[in-house]
Amino acid sequence: MAILDDLKDIIVDILDVQAQEITEESKLVEDLKADSLDIVEMLMQIEDKFGLQIPESTAEDFKTVKDVVDYLEKRLQEK
Amino acid sequence: MIKTRVTEMLGIRFPLFQGGMAWIATGQLAGAVSSAGGLGIIGSGTADVQWLQREIEAARRLTEHPFGVNLVLTSPHIEENIALVIKEKIPVVTTGAGNPGKYLPLFRDQGIKVMPVVASVALARRLARLGADAIIAEGVESGGHVGEMTTMCLVPMIADVLDIPVIAAGGIADGRGMLAAFALGAEAVQMGTRFICAEECPAHPDYQQKVIKAKDRDTEVCGLTTLYPVRALRNSFVRYYLEQERAGADQEMLRKLGAGKYPEAALGGDIENGSILAGQVSGLVNRVEPAAAIVKDVMETAEALLLNRLGVEQWSE
Repeated sequence: MAILDDLKDIIVDILDVQAQEITEESKLVEDLKADSLDIVEMLMQIEDKFGLQIPESTAEDFKTVKDVVDYLEKRLQEK
Repeated sequence: MIKTRVTEMLGIRFPLFQGGMAWIATGQLAGAVSSAGGLGIIGSGTADVQWLQREIEAARRLTEHPFGVNLVLTSPHIEENIALVIKEKIPVVTTGAGNPGKYLPLFRDQGIKVMPVVASVALARRLARLGADAIIAEGVESGGHVGEMTTMCLVPMIADVLDIPVIAAGGIADGRGMLAAFALGAEAVQMGTRFICAEECPAHPDYQQKVIKAKDRDTEVCGLTTLYPVRALRNSFVRYYLEQERAGADQEMLRKLGAGKYPEAALGGDIENGSILAGQVSGLVNRVEPAAAIVKDVMETAEALLLNRLGVEQWSE
């Protein structure tokens, strides 16, 4: 669950929400109130943290925290 | 003679872009700015491909120097307009209204320089990583679509984290603004509002006069509750829109309220019921003059300021 924890840290940092408010089911826009630029900020921090590049087409599909975690798990396994 | 990475990259004489304002940044205006040594930019806005084709031809008749096209990513005609830009071998595009990330590889493959207009550090970093050639950092002072950051804060923050050049936009109308932007880390500036009042700009004369008459506090930001807030000069339309917005009008209603209002003012000259998009620098614009005179004035003022007022003392001694 290290990925989820790292992602939570990033989201907390950007959105100033409490870590316990964030679950895998949380929707980035509707629940966590991220706007499009917050999501860009999140992508940048994820790329920096995990040392990978997320294509724009993939990033457009991120709706929930779980979407991001699943994607990162897959990419990190490939590494 | 001034050289920056931007003038070198584009092969232009002066580091001065004319903003690609929808409908009014035509081939006639862009051609005039480019022949005067700046970078003219045709604003394709939501226009269709026939419009863009015609304006590209118009610009080509006026200048042999490079000019660019601004692409609005939310335009219904974006795909055809991109195809045309590629076919016509336009050397540089600027992009607005969103994130052009997915188009960057396409432009790169075609050798077209891409300079997205950006209002946040994170998006600037992301687009730089995805291959943008330069970033136009636009502050909230600008006319039309606005972000939240001021040019004064945004430009140095973006310049600090990028290796590619930054072009400053928003709040710049003369040589003083240009020099200030250079001090903040920019290597070129983009001006929109002042070029509304270029003789070659087809904005309605009443629209131009409204910009000229405007004072410091005469612009308002409409649509802060929507995804695309815009800055416009206060008039009947803006007052009504803001009343509705403050009363809690929903997104759909606000969208309908604003739809088509800008060309109504810019081309139709209805400056009471249309939307007069213009930046805070309207208060600094005080005449209609040829585009070449604007370019000359900006460069001469910046140069004189640097040489005569700023360049001689050692301030920290």
